[in-house]
Amino acid sequence: MSGDRPLGVMIGALGGQGGGVLADWLTEAARIAGYPAQATSTPGVAQRTGATSYYFELFADKNPPAAPLFSLFPAADDVDLMAALEPTEAGRALDRGYVTRRTTVITATERIYSTAEKVAAGDGTIPTAPVLEALENASGKLLALPMRTLSDGAANQANAILLGAIAGSGILPIGADDFRAAISNKGVAVAQNLAGFEIGIGASGSESEPKTAQTFNPAPDGFADQLAAYAEPLRLLIGHCLARLVDYQNADYARLFLARLAPVRDLDSDAGGALTSETASRLAAWMSFEDVIRVAQLKTRPGRITRIRGELGIDAAVPLKLNDFFKPGHGEITGFLPPWLARMVPGGKQKLAGEGISISWPTGSAPGFAALKFLAALKFLRPGGSQYAEEQAAIEQWLGAVTQAAGKDYSLALQTARLAIWARGYGDVRSGGFTVLAELFADWDRRLEAGLAELKASVDQSLLLAHANPDAPPPR
Amino acid sequence: MDGGSAPVGLIQRSGERSFAEEVKKLQLGAGEEFHGEAILAVTKALLQAGVAYVGGYPGAPMSHLIDVLADASEEILEPLGIQFEQSASEAGAAALLSASIHYPLRGAVTWKSVVGTNVASDAIANLASTGVTGGALMIIGEDYGEGSSIMQERTHSFAMKSSLPLIDPRYEMTKLVAMTEQAFEMSEVSNLPVFLTLRIRACHMTGSFIAKDNKTPQYNLNNPVPEPRYDVSKIVLPPASYEHEADKFAKRLPAVRRFIREHGINEVFAGDGGRYGIITQGGTHGMVARALRQLGAADGFGNSDVPMLVLNVIHPLVPEEIQEFMADKDSVLVIEEGSPNLIESQIAQIAHANRIDCLVHGKDLLPMAGEYVTDVVRGGLAAYLADAAPGQMRAAAAANVKSIDNARDQARACLADAMPEPLPPRPPSFCTGCPERPVFAALKLLVRERGPMHVSMDIGCNLFGALAPFHVGNTVLGYGLSLASGGAVGPVLGQPTIAVMGDGGYWHNGLTTGAINAQWNRYDTVLIILDNGYASATGQHRVPSSGVTPKGVQSGISIESSLRGLGVTWIERVDSYDLPETIAALRKALDARGQGLRVILSNNECMLAQQRRKRSQKAEALKAGATVAEEKFGVDAEVCTGDHSCMRLSGCPSLSLRPSPDPLKETPIAHVEDTCVACGHCGEVTHAARLCPSFYRAEGMVNPGPLRAFASCINRGLLAMLGAS
Repeated sequence: MSGDRPLGVMIGALGGQGGGVLADWLTEAARIAGYPAQATSTPGVAQRTGATSYYFELFADKNPPAAPLFSLFPAADDVDLMAALEPTEAGRALDRGYVTRRTTVITATERIYSTAEKVAAGDGTIPTAPVLEALENASGKLLALPMRTLSDGAANQANAILLGAIAGSGILPIGADDFRAAISNKGVAVAQNLAGFEIGIGASGSESEPKTAQTFNPAPDGFADQLAAYAEPLRLLIGHCLARLVDYQNADYARLFLARLAPVRDLDSDAGGALTSETASRLAAWMSFEDVIRVAQLKTRPGRITRIRGELGIDAAVPLKLNDFFKPGHGEITGFLPPWLARMVPGGKQKLAGEGISISWPTGSAPGFAALKFLAALKFLRPGGSQYAEEQAAIEQWLGAVTQAAGKDYSLALQTARLAIWARGYGDVRSGGFTVLAELFADWDRRLEAGLAELKASVDQSLLLAHANPDAPPPR
Repeated sequence: MDGGSAPVGLIQRSGERSFAEEVKKLQLGAGEEFHGEAILAVTKALLQAGVAYVGGYPGAPMSHLIDVLADASEEILEPLGIQFEQSASEAGAAALLSASIHYPLRGAVTWKSVVGTNVASDAIANLASTGVTGGALMIIGEDYGEGSSIMQERTHSFAMKSSLPLIDPRYEMTKLVAMTEQAFEMSEVSNLPVFLTLRIRACHMTGSFIAKDNKTPQYNLNNPVPEPRYDVSKIVLPPASYEHEADKFAKRLPAVRRFIREHGINEVFAGDGGRYGIITQGGTHGMVARALRQLGAADGFGNSDVPMLVLNVIHPLVPEEIQEFMADKDSVLVIEEGSPNLIESQIAQIAHANRIDCLVHGKDLLPMAGEYVTDVVRGGLAAYLADAAPGQMRAAAAANVKSIDNARDQARACLADAMPEPLPPRPPSFCTGCPERPVFAALKLLVRERGPMHVSMDIGCNLFGALAPFHVGNTVLGYGLSLASGGAVGPVLGQPTIAVMGDGGYWHNGLTTGAINAQWNRYDTVLIILDNGYASATGQHRVPSSGVTPKGVQSGISIESSLRGLGVTWIERVDSYDLPETIAALRKALDARGQGLRVILSNNECMLAQQRRKRSQKAEALKAGATVAEEKFGVDAEVCTGDHSCMRLSGCPSLSLRPSPDPLKETPIAHVEDTCVACGHCGEVTHAARLCPSFYRAEGMVNPGPLRAFASCINRGLLAMLGAS
């Protein structure tokens, strides 16, 4: 009794993505083509971002002997097509048993991260690859569509592209023209959606993702000999670090970096130099700590304004108002003054949320830009500043801990190097991280002697904390 | 009204949405084919049945009924003389039905159940006692199962305790329309108001039926009832109230049972006439039929060898029908969604009382709780058929259920192999630019500053504040009840409590049960009212303080003046997007001990509604060549520290992550999507919480005037000289 089963199409989307419109297009196309069909949905509440699902059934016989009995619910091993506007939503359908060998899966590949993924202090994101792999293995066929590549940036066509891909898959007996007519009848952004439909109908799934590869800056001149002292595979990274620090301060500062890294390199027993690279990247990041001077430098980078115009989609002639949000605390403001002078500047006491100086800086105006340029030019003051002194002291303490650990236990040394993640952020976030490190490194050498197991445990624990969501409520 | 409500008062039509298409469908005449959603079909059925008045309180899944009629005044309501209102609460809607007590008027009201039924219960119970003359219909959207936003209960028990017929129809469009029209007749022959229940997915189900002409009610706005009627037997007081109760069981329910029999409302499918069978609610019939097909016991048209009794009315049951069905059977399986198993128990009792030797299965083979989706029903059916069905069907069912489970398990294993961690949950949350988000950022910062506080929440979008990333909100007890639900908490905690309430909740129940009660009992409480101009969770429905009624008439009701009328003096209005202002107001309110109720009105229009309006205005302005601002926030990748502090104070869908282009950064960096509406929250949070200076606000002026163009030209020149590009 399977010849008379209707075709089942499930749509997975997030509120606001246009899944409802997609379901309407399917229903209208079926009506135009003259096939019995039924659609339903659980749009839930009006808000955006929640997972929503739509379900559509079509009977592939225009004149059935009797009225087909359609279902309001998809069922396990009864779904012919799973169309998703977000890959983990296709994964969710798989988890619920709606994707089996019978099922063709067509899904957008761009992740839309859930709040749960965003709030982790470390990297809480779920990669797309394993989800697609699971869908590939579980389904009859997988069509993975990089919507942004396909639509050339216009992500709002995703549902129309998906409709095109559905038409192209040939799973439904509806002709392409009936789908086009459905888009026209629905009357929502018709021209744009028809364009999206044509893209989707031709999509093969072989389109490649836009690359966001990390790029290493070339090493600055005059460091060739020092670079030679490092194993070939490390040179790209070290060169990048040197370039960063020359840009941040000057060549001497870059040499200080090399001087600090050398002992770690000499202790590194790993052929690949894992500890060296782990330490190098974190050392360079920390040494280029972001004080007001650095921020001014970054905010006045050549090309920044052009990039922002691009984000707004406006050309060079359109007037642009650009404001940056600064909230310098006492530490940042007095950071580049010598310690004795910094202490004399009032306002050091802890501020409440919303208090203190809030600046919306007009970087887009010539005077605003000039002022930041001037501030950036003050980097010669930095080494004499109080913040510099504090940061360097903390760096030395951390490096000391790493080298000491390296002499004892390689894995502990690696983890210790990673502890540098605590040196992040501004204001309260940064000072909080420094406190954590100070506590960890207090009588470090004694604890190294006392017993590695306990020390390792506390280091691992600290790293877990550093990557977790600090505001997570206690587990139920 | 007070100026503070001004931004909201400016709104013209209900959320700028138009239901012109739907209204056309409601005007279809005899013989024309209707094609659309079930909830609209039911609305059409009301018009075909000659309904004289309609009311309701919006809420998924049946808001659509109210939205469409609100837009149909001139085309439909006025010519037919039909009275329509969007009531202030479900109680108000139910009270409308009192028009059918004395007068031969057909009336229909609608709301989300079970919550709406709870609110309306006083009116419904009194109406059930008095009884009606004109057909009175309550169309309830049973918000149960997937996509639900309320506690999981069924309305069945309520219908039973008030002796109300409960129609739970089979979901086939023609049947649905017919049942809706028959419901009025059923109500009139029995003098009982009638429930018609529709599940979420059924309301949104598409289908078609052949329409009839709309019917003008005998008495209507254009042809008034001659004169008011008085009849003491309609007053719920002894002795009438005792007679009402007796009538329910002596006259009214028997009349309903006769009507069901005479009109064949419940359906019997003989199947193979075997000594086994299924008794199911109409609303679960589709799932049963599909599950049977999957098990090989039915075809794609719902034809099955399994004998079946479909109860399209689940209260009252008709004992004779049940006896006849069970008479020649060894066993039956009762498929009844939710608990307690009211149908199953009654059927077992009927079998027992009539000495019918038929084993009654039900919750012993099916789950006690939860939605009966096809996958759930299939399991119970397979277990039953394996025991009771004839050999061939038994074998097929066993084999099919096994192969389906295998197929599913193999597929799911692929996911488990590829990703051991479960997929992240994705509950609904505040929209991009939502004016309610900053309030919860403020509360979270305040908790960091002052330690834990007790915040009682309300129904509506605001409740998402209790979820990540804010985790603000300790209890929720019902619509408009947040303030009252903190009453006994504050004193025992020895600290002022905070109650959060939307403007929808305030007008629904919050003014009376909340504000008046708090003022009267001198609560030491801070009430935050999120005054965004709509009941937004249901899809931007008007509330009394929207400034305009659903029909577009000026209302001139304001939250602030209503509070002042109660003698509440501590009232502060804050711009919801101004975080420092909000935090300062909260500190001040919390510290104003001994000053009774302190109210903070956090004001800004619902961003969904605002964008819906602005998008079209902007498009027109661009076409006309007028100056238009393109605004957006952004993040400098080089500056972002990647610790995601901003995420934990925002949760905005448009504030997301992307991999860092810098090899020295180990974590993904913040990124603002194109969907940003530049509400300003990112900047406010950066300031209030002293976050990294990576956020910027960019505003491009398309089609600038000559002056602006000239100034910007000079600015660009200077910037170029400074090496900017």
